[in-house]
Amino acid sequence: MRLIILGGVAAGTKAAARARREYPDAEVMILTQDDYVAYAGCGLPYYVGGIISEAQELIVRTPDEFKHENGIDVRTRCQATAIDPSAREVRARDLDTGIEQTYGYDKLILATGALPVLPAIDGIHLKRVATVRGLTDAKKIRVLVDSGKLRHAVVVGGGFIGLEMAENLAHRGLQVSVVEMRDAILPGFDPEIAALAKKALEEHGVGIYTGETVQRVLGNASGEATGVVTTERTLDADLVILSAGIKPNTAIAAAAGVETDARGMILVDEYLRTNLPDIFAVGDCASVRHQMTDLDVYSPMGSTANKTGRLVVANLIEPRETFAGVLGTTIVRLFDVSAARTGLSEEEARAAGHDVETVLVPTPDRAHYYPGNKPIITKLIADRATHRILGAQVFGEGVVDKPIDTLAMGIALGMTAEQLSGMDLAYTPPFASALNSSIVAANVLLNKLDGKLRGVSPCALELDNPNQQLLDVRTEPEYLIAAIPNSINIPLPELRERIDELDPEKSTVVVCKVGRRAYGAALLLRRLGFRDVKILDGGMTAWPYETV
Amino acid sequence: MAEYRINARGLQCPGPIMQLFTQMKSAEPGDLVMIEVTDVGFKKDIEAWCRKTKNTLVSLIENDGVITAQVRKG
Ligand SMILES: Cc1cc2nc3c(=O)[nH]c(=O)nc-3n(C[C@H](O)[C@H](O)[C@H](O)COP(=O)(O)OP(=O)(O)OC[C@H]3O[C@@H](n4cnc5c(N)ncnc54)[C@H](O)[C@@H]3O)c2cc1C
Repeated sequence: MRLIILGGVAAGTKAAARARREYPDAEVMILTQDDYVAYAGCGLPYYVGGIISEAQELIVRTPDEFKHENGIDVRTRCQATAIDPSAREVRARDLDTGIEQTYGYDKLILATGALPVLPAIDGIHLKRVATVRGLTDAKKIRVLVDSGKLRHAVVVGGGFIGLEMAENLAHRGLQVSVVEMRDAILPGFDPEIAALAKKALEEHGVGIYTGETVQRVLGNASGEATGVVTTERTLDADLVILSAGIKPNTAIAAAAGVETDARGMILVDEYLRTNLPDIFAVGDCASVRHQMTDLDVYSPMGSTANKTGRLVVANLIEPRETFAGVLGTTIVRLFDVSAARTGLSEEEARAAGHDVETVLVPTPDRAHYYPGNKPIITKLIADRATHRILGAQVFGEGVVDKPIDTLAMGIALGMTAEQLSGMDLAYTPPFASALNSSIVAANVLLNKLDGKLRGVSPCALELDNPNQQLLDVRTEPEYLIAAIPNSINIPLPELRERIDELDPEKSTVVVCKVGRRAYGAALLLRRLGFRDVKILDGGMTAWPYETV
Repeated sequence: MAEYRINARGLQCPGPIMQLFTQMKSAEPGDLVMIEVTDVGFKKDIEAWCRKTKNTLVSLIENDGVITAQVRKG
């Protein structure tokens, strides 16, 4: 059997290595247009930031190692230009000599990945304008940053790649601005979490401009970028990073009759087969099934590329292993905070037709008395009818990867709020609280599902509604430190005696630090006949906006 | 000039800031209060509180998860 794999980063090399093991007699060949194979694309921002000192640290294996240790024939700088499915042939051009050659295959795996989407604006071909996809891109940026001549960088696009680049460029001493055309950064996260991430980045000196579109990159006489014009302002920029999304790199596949969807991703079945015989697709060029919606989605992640690259090999001769699909689990670190998500976001859950309940619950990441504990905020998204947890997002300075991974496991297995509340999770003070952060969140969720508690999201709170009173039940010194504009401060112990200061006919939103005191106050107000009482989800801890 | 020490380790908000608030009320101008806290949120809180109450934050250090602040009254 002759197996040809197009693309040799994550998915392609995983497939090649396993094919070598499973089919010792097969001829395995990787064709890639890239200068490098088997590099850790996810590490590129940290290489620019200097945390990874040399590019070679990101290279898992060189073409020579593949050849000599695995007997895999790797051709770099060799670009596939056409596939002929009936003849079972791939045409490819040597990028150095320009010579085209034809390679016959028995099985073909497409692992051609993705390409950055380039905004259609003037100036993107200037020097010092870069995309971040491959190691070659990152090396170019690193050389520019190492020159020490750059002062200002503008990152176009506030997805996780853009934000990781922003952090790393800031570490290198650049003044960084991020321009995002949507209303929020971090696509895939709900607005509460995205707003907290924005605040954290701004506190670290990164300018975040949402709801603005980049219109032009400005250049000097030597053809180098000097600035960026947005719909709202002009920003200085000696370096412009274009990270405005990616698209599947599937033009040659589509031209050969491989079925793709409107955005260009190759549609594959659960065995990762395309519509054409003996042609498979894995990694960032292919669709995956979403476990919560059963829809084919584009979820271009390194985790998925490695899994699908490995799995497809089992199915080359006959269909044997199925890919379970994705939950959309992702995680990103930004300076001293991290954000992680899994399952459906609130918006996705609503779009999928669920009647949704959510909670936003701040807790410490381990015992609150154990030195080093740090705050995290857990958002849960659940179905009101079935109580099933549909999605989760965890944000904060504390540990977020553990809760998101346990939540992802539970969500994949159909866990309800009741089941999460009863989960037997590891506890000792250096690692967790006796009531684990996810369990506390489940308990708040159960209170909401039972109707004991109603909440309002910080993103939905109206600050100038004359029929609403915002009651802050924290102590005076806490209120003095930071409070939401137009809030009334009545510390919880004084609430009963000072009740006349409030109007029971108005709708009341109660706020405290995390929600516990607000819950107590809300129960009291309801007993005292207040008409409409809600608490501010997440309290002051999750409040991402201005305070006084 | 008196010096006071508060061990507010293990207390969650509003514990630490309330203890400091109470101690500062009874202290004389120029007195020094040192407080130890394990609630990380305290770092931002103490800076804002001192600014707004016109007390002086003499030092703020974090070591092995314990935050130590020294505040001079006035
Ligand atoms: C900066 C950055 C940070 C990231 N961080 C994370 C992270 O933290 N977590 C995570 O899960 N994922 C992350 N990712 C995503 C992850 O890197 C990708 O999902 C993964 O690289 C996909 O692997 P792939 O093999 O499918 O495709 P790619 O990595 O895109 O590789 C495809 C290869 O195919 C080659 N090729 C394309 N067309 C042809 C052709 N016609 N002929 C020959 N060769 C061709 C390309 O040149 C390329 O070398 C990150 C990506 C980037 C860029």
